[in-house]
Amino acid sequence: MASHDEEFTMLFQEFYPSLCRFLECLLGGRAELAQDLAQESFLQLHRTAWGTLPEGEARFWLYRVARNFAINEFRKSHTRYRLFDRVVEAMRPPTRNPEEEYETRERKQMVLSMLSTLPEDQRVALLLREQEQLSYRDISQVLNVSESKVKVDIFRARATLRERWTKRSNKVVGVKAG
Amino acid sequence: MNCDCTEKISLLIDGELSPAEARELERHLVTCVECQEARADFLSLRSQINEFPVAFKPVAQRDALERILGKEKAAGRGRNWRWLLNPALAAFASLLILGAVIGLLIYPRLKPVHTPADFVASDSGKKPGAMPQPSRSPEQSSKGAGQSGAPQKGSQPPAGTNRTKVPNKKPAPVVIEPPQDNIARNQEPAGPVRSADAETMTAIHFQKSELLLRSFRNVRLNKTGSSPELGYEKKLAQQLVYQNMVLRREADAAGDAQVSSLLDSLEPILLDIANLPEKARQGDVRAIKDRVERKNIVALLQVNSLALARALD
Repeated sequence: MASHDEEFTMLFQEFYPSLCRFLECLLGGRAELAQDLAQESFLQLHRTAWGTLPEGEARFWLYRVARNFAINEFRKSHTRYRLFDRVVEAMRPPTRNPEEEYETRERKQMVLSMLSTLPEDQRVALLLREQEQLSYRDISQVLNVSESKVKVDIFRARATLRERWTKRSNKVVGVKAG
Repeated sequence: MNCDCTEKISLLIDGELSPAEARELERHLVTCVECQEARADFLSLRSQINEFPVAFKPVAQRDALERILGKEKAAGRGRNWRWLLNPALAAFASLLILGAVIGLLIYPRLKPVHTPADFVASDSGKKPGAMPQPSRSPEQSSKGAGQSGAPQKGSQPPAGTNRTKVPNKKPAPVVIEPPQDNIARNQEPAGPVRSADAETMTAIHFQKSELLLRSFRNVRLNKTGSSPELGYEKKLAQQLVYQNMVLRREADAAGDAQVSSLLDSLEPILLDIANLPEKARQGDVRAIKDRVERKNIVALLQVNSLALARALD
């Protein structure tokens, strides 16, 4: 069944990076865990559903399963993973030049901190829209909710982030002016 | 700043409005500054979320795919072992292992040095069933001294040895005297001896083996011929086989023939249980059970473990 595996490989190559990113944003920056969960999702797909899903459904299936894995992780102890990830982060050898490393980290941290203020369903819907460019209908299939809920969730997420972002910018301007 | 169109802006940038609605909103945008700002902010947020970098190496992706496709079992375990690939964590783990090795090297030096008191003073006290070595009665002891002078008739033995008092005419009886104090223990052992640690290990080993064989003896053989459930027994036997070999060699080296012989009898049985196939045939199980019964090994193990335990008390 070479073609069977070839198709799976293509799907993996195409969506593994974005699934990792989606999970990392969802999990508040726990990159190691995000990669583990992305692999678990693909493994689950290969074991159980691959070949039985209608064409184009595999992607939605993956995101649905990945999101469920992430929710399970939320339910576990947060502290343990945070601490562990911090230890890993602290011990990771620097790979780029310090400035670039710093900027990347800052940018990541800002996005993550903003996203972490959102309720989980709004965060998932927004990430699927912005990062994965899924349509509202696709998102509703992934999350198994109505399109109108997706529409509302995405708008609320944007409005909340915009408000926080404006407040933050004003604060920064105030500090600089002061 | 309360234009009702903000929600529609969200739909517009997502392409979720009909062409007619989109055109209408575009016209509104020309005049409404608030909506223009909302659209700019929403698009700015989008670019920030979209630019979130993905932090992993292509090699890791390829490895992950290989695990999923080729070695699903390995992929299942991969989550537990993948951290080993992380150089920082691998270094941390190496440090821990190094620390443990150093600790193991230093620990024996910190332990108190074994004095002869830690060793068995005489075989009679430790070896169950071995022929006890008679100790000399006071009378006999005095004979040695008496070579220079005759023993005094009717002289009383020292206090505390009354139970050994016998008429002088009769030959001195055999008296088994366990070591009374440290002085007795500090006597130079006559032959090769085994350390108390080894004997403790042997006693525990006998107890575990006894439990295993009892459990194995109680395995039910169905009339239907289906293979019995032996997972626990197999696992335990696998653990005990190695220890059995080590203890047997130690017993051989120490000249403890009885313990060595018992361990020697036990070893093939442990090996047979450990090597039983997943779906063992009832005939094989029955053959081992018969051998255990024939050799009466459970009772021997019980007796020896109790004797050793008592001797160690």
